[in-house]
Amino acid sequence: MNERNHLGLIGGAALALAVAGGIWLGSHGLRHFDPAVIGYALGTLLAAFAVGYRFVTWAQRPPSRMYFRRGLQLLLSRKQSTGVAPASATTPPLHHSTTPPPYGAGTLGHALATKFVTQDFIRRRSPLRWVMHVCLSGGCTLAFAITFPLVFGWVHFESLPGNAEIYTVKALGLAVDQFSVHSAKAFVMFNLLNFSAVIVLVGLVLAAYRRVTDAGELATQKFFEDILPLLLIFAVTVTGLALTVSYKFMAGRGHGLWALVHMVSVVALLLYIPFGKLFHIFQRTCSLSVSLYKKAGQHGPRAHCRACGEDYASQMHVDDLKVVLDQLGFDYRFATARGRVHYQDICPACRRRLLALNQGRSIGR
Amino acid sequence: MATLTITDDRYTELYGPTPNYTPAGGWNNGEPDKLVKTHCCFCGVQCGIQLKVKDNKVIGFEPWEEFPVNQGKLCPKGVKRYMQNDHPDRLLTPLIRSATGFDVASWEKSLTKTVAAIQSIQAKHGKDSFAFLGGASMTNEKAYLNGKFARIALQTANIDYNGRLCMVSAGAANRMAFGVDRAANPWSDIPLAKVIILTGTNLAECFPILTDYIWRARDNGAKIIVIDPRITPIARTADLFLPVRPGRDSALANGILHVMIERGWIDEKFIAEHTHDFDKVRELVKKYTPEVTEKITGVPAKSILAAAEAWGTAETSMLLHARGIEHHTKGVENVLTYINLVLASGRIGKPGCGYGTITGQGNGQGGREHGQRCNQLPGGRDINKPEHRQFIADFWKIPEPELPKQGLTACEIIDAIERGEIKGLLSISFNPLVSIPDSNRTRAALEKLEFFACIDPFLSETARHADVVFAGSLQEEDEGTVTTGEGRCVRLRNSVSPPGNARVDWQIICDLARRLGKEQWFSYGNAGEIFTELTAASKGGPIDYSGMTYERIEQNMGLFWPCPAPEHPGTPRLFEGGKFHHPDGKAKFHAYDYRPPAEDVDAEFPIFFTSGRVVSQYLSGTQTRRIGSLVDQYPEPLCEMHPLLAAKFGINDRDIVKVTTRRGEMTLPAQVVKSIRPDTVFIPYHWAGKKAANQLTNRALDPISKIPEFKVCACKVEKVADAPLKNLTTQ
Amino acid sequence: MTSELEFFIDPSRCIGCQACVQACAECGTHRGVPMIHLDYVHRPTGVQTAPVVCMHCEDPTCARVCPADAIKQDDEGIVHSAAKPRCVACSNCVLACPFGVPKMKVDFDLMMKCDMCYDRTSVGKKPMCATVCPSGALYYGTREYVAEFRRETPVNEFRFGRETVRTKVNMMTAPQMKALPFDVADFLPWEGQDFDPLSLARAGAPDAASSSVWDEESLPGTCGSGNCACKQQPEAAAIAN
Repeated sequence: MNERNHLGLIGGAALALAVAGGIWLGSHGLRHFDPAVIGYALGTLLAAFAVGYRFVTWAQRPPSRMYFRRGLQLLLSRKQSTGVAPASATTPPLHHSTTPPPYGAGTLGHALATKFVTQDFIRRRSPLRWVMHVCLSGGCTLAFAITFPLVFGWVHFESLPGNAEIYTVKALGLAVDQFSVHSAKAFVMFNLLNFSAVIVLVGLVLAAYRRVTDAGELATQKFFEDILPLLLIFAVTVTGLALTVSYKFMAGRGHGLWALVHMVSVVALLLYIPFGKLFHIFQRTCSLSVSLYKKAGQHGPRAHCRACGEDYASQMHVDDLKVVLDQLGFDYRFATARGRVHYQDICPACRRRLLALNQGRSIGR
Repeated sequence: MATLTITDDRYTELYGPTPNYTPAGGWNNGEPDKLVKTHCCFCGVQCGIQLKVKDNKVIGFEPWEEFPVNQGKLCPKGVKRYMQNDHPDRLLTPLIRSATGFDVASWEKSLTKTVAAIQSIQAKHGKDSFAFLGGASMTNEKAYLNGKFARIALQTANIDYNGRLCMVSAGAANRMAFGVDRAANPWSDIPLAKVIILTGTNLAECFPILTDYIWRARDNGAKIIVIDPRITPIARTADLFLPVRPGRDSALANGILHVMIERGWIDEKFIAEHTHDFDKVRELVKKYTPEVTEKITGVPAKSILAAAEAWGTAETSMLLHARGIEHHTKGVENVLTYINLVLASGRIGKPGCGYGTITGQGNGQGGREHGQRCNQLPGGRDINKPEHRQFIADFWKIPEPELPKQGLTACEIIDAIERGEIKGLLSISFNPLVSIPDSNRTRAALEKLEFFACIDPFLSETARHADVVFAGSLQEEDEGTVTTGEGRCVRLRNSVSPPGNARVDWQIICDLARRLGKEQWFSYGNAGEIFTELTAASKGGPIDYSGMTYERIEQNMGLFWPCPAPEHPGTPRLFEGGKFHHPDGKAKFHAYDYRPPAEDVDAEFPIFFTSGRVVSQYLSGTQTRRIGSLVDQYPEPLCEMHPLLAAKFGINDRDIVKVTTRRGEMTLPAQVVKSIRPDTVFIPYHWAGKKAANQLTNRALDPISKIPEFKVCACKVEKVADAPLKNLTTQ
Repeated sequence: MTSELEFFIDPSRCIGCQACVQACAECGTHRGVPMIHLDYVHRPTGVQTAPVVCMHCEDPTCARVCPADAIKQDDEGIVHSAAKPRCVACSNCVLACPFGVPKMKVDFDLMMKCDMCYDRTSVGKKPMCATVCPSGALYYGTREYVAEFRRETPVNEFRFGRETVRTKVNMMTAPQMKALPFDVADFLPWEGQDFDPLSLARAGAPDAASSSVWDEESLPGTCGSGNCACKQQPEAAAIAN
């Protein structure tokens, strides 16, 4: 077992412990913890461990590590005009910049808003896909935002001792709100999960439509990556709705069975997250670093192609990639009679030209 | 009077060209209802292609790898040809000219108006005052029908076609030398050749599919010799490149033959047994020593020697040429001097040995065979030969004297319109405003017409001048046959029906004929009936299709003419056994001295001007300027010039230059490249109006073929402004 | 069987017609957006063009430098476009690929690249570009065909300085060669040297010959051209003799 795995195990354990600690403290030593949801809680703990493990092992890979380190550096370098110290011996120092760096919290905030909330880049790829994704991600986020605090015992409802028709909302043990069970607010509160389920269903229908009509997706989709997550989300949504149907319209018939099936589906979904497509929820944090990195690169020194002289990237990017390539075991260095050349110093367009030139020369054309 | 009623920009707004970027139904347009095996609508290769059809629209294509000529290969035009279907500019109804451009009209009204105009003009000014212009992008069926319509329904002598701008020098020369007008060999002979001369053909851009044939020959050890004023893509890796000065081709061919004779690299036995008139040529070329030839042509003497040695001593060889040597006032002479090289080598009519002319238009071969030319009747018959006239008159069941005599050629028709001798014109599939030299005069001529009608699927720049525009058909909306550059007659399948109120071209012609009182000659139920008549009319003629049927053509993936009987397998390779098509079975040498072009460079206009194509556009661009990604590939004309020449005028790449000839001027960006002679500039001709290269070219005609001299005239160049986007890198 | 068909590239055959680019845009996985590259090597001096498809490296540098695990190689060795959910549009792959293949679609925040027409090859059809290519620069077929009909021989090993890259796609080169070595020294400007990027590029080809064939002598207005106004019309003199 290598170092990355060790760190991964530590990361997984830390995240799982943090969640466990959160449950313990938030539910006042399990006093407000509902034993009926123990399955969910255990599933969450297991998933937390896996997510932590996966995230840390992934973030330790040279290219990801480079971005996270650079992201932190850039975020913290806001006030500095002379660059920051290297994060490690293998990370070259940031370049000196004469203009105040424009990256930092502002860029980060903008990136958060556009990449995570409005997901604008998906709209540009395809409007239909964007609606689908906003439904799925928004609906699921809403559902988890409701269920995790309930499961962890962070939030619970109590009826007033003197009036069973008035509910008090208690968060971390403190009363934060109260309302009548007949009020509109109560209707919204009790049905939020159903609303989220409907939103998710809309997203699922759109996703299914894409999966069966889009020629490109049909060619490249894989069951485990692309179909299974949709099936799992579908199962969670439908069984969740079935619970509502069961106690609202069928006098609770089959409620127990549905509750069990629902729990199984939720736990399956939670456990799928770290291992499949849905892990991109966590991996996309890297895009925040990338936003900072690009902004810094635009305003910093530029790399000019060794062959054609054109500006083709930021010097920081080219230099960092050389380090990453070394860490990955690639060595694109040329030692020629006239001097040294790193292939990274030649722009992609010139690399394509060099392919034709070298092939042509090899056969005299 | 056929003047424009609204501005050019307004016509463009209403009728295009609009670049279309998306297929019918969008990019995710789903599975097609059917795949139709047919052919590309562009050049004379006629590549096999499968069109994807859904809901009566062409939504895409799939390569057709079983078709032997191109085996699935396509050029960029072929790939995107399907985008002309379901196009926003497509004419869906007949149009009649109005103060606001055009009004939508019924078929009844537009046909009636046209027929009335034809009758009144002909009654007033005689039958020949109404002319017909056809095109070589149409099927054999339509070529035949156009000729018959002009002779029987219009009874005019003045019918010609846009092949007059394209193939006629080669056609005339082939008939003079070989007694027949067709490429001597199938393309499949190319890879068997050990030496290939490509002269005046930008093959890689104008006939891209043949590239692989040329490279396959090179894989077999062939030497490639390219003769061109520009280093074209096919020339880049050639074994020998002869950078001929524009307008000097016949001198170069004479110079090469001089060396061959001197060194004994000729086939005396073949010459004696199978040809006439070699002695005249032998005598003529004596003075074309390499040194003299170098002075005339600008080709180094050592290259002339090397070419003569390679060609003269080859085991097998092919010579291919195209418009580069044909678009001259001595186009026929140029071709004949090159044919002399082939005949002197004795290498023709055998596998890997032969000669071919590369046809530029979709039906460049078939379009010139079936009687849509002023001097020709169906079956390649001669309108001036009494026995040929009698045969066709009998076939059509008309008295021979009623069959019109030879009329004017395409450019001469435009000239006659300008002089006021021709008052009315019906044109189909022809955009002379873009394609005929000296376009300012072409415009003036069109404006003089009393009546002008067009049949077209899109409103071409010429059609803007029309009184009546009939919404005709695209290639995929009709069926029929075309004959490719190698003489292979192939079958076009009907993929979709014309949209809206548009009609199939041949039905429009028949409608007009009916209203002109000639119904009994024009009552066809389908294109197949026209083909059957065409083949019968060709029986016993120089171009004999009489053994062909649609079924046989399909079964054989095309049939080569002559195919004189139902069991005849067709004739892929001509002249086998040294048998030529002149009555005595021999070929003829022709001794032509070099003479300068009609307009040579001088002190005032010191630079050669030449024109040609780019790979992404086809002819006058009526179709290809409407396909977005083809437009993007080469959006507007550029003036190619050598850095040495550019430096003389202080011109840098993409600077705006003005190119002036005695006929007009044109302002456009320069493309400064080392791949062109320093004494020559080149502008591609596919664009209209102020972007038309034919504002500059010279309408001087070859005395025999009446082809205009597109490929050489004299110009001057000056810088107008700096490049507008100096910092943007351009390819 | 698809498994017997391989991709062979011979840029020296390319005529720059862009049929491949136009056809590439027709593919189901990237409709309307071509993935193949076709650049002039240096248009001012010649018409040589460089068609580049993804070479599908055995150990793809692009995938290894991806921070988001977005680039996957499948069991057949095809390296795919970045997975849409994962790609963070960092351009690491664009900069690292030794062949210059991946394209960053800025509008989409997404890297896209040639996937050998996966929608076609995965169901036994040929890639669009190689099917339509009129020059045979891009060829998809059997090794036997190439051995029988081509003068050049395929290699799938490329030496970039100290790095050797092995690929699924083959490159045609001289028969004795086992790998295609990349020379950079001759194609780069060095201090104190007049740099002609193409002086050594095309031995024997007319581009290279252009400077000797077409020199100052052939400019209009000088006597050697036959077009000058100085009355020494060599052409007329030549004919008179």
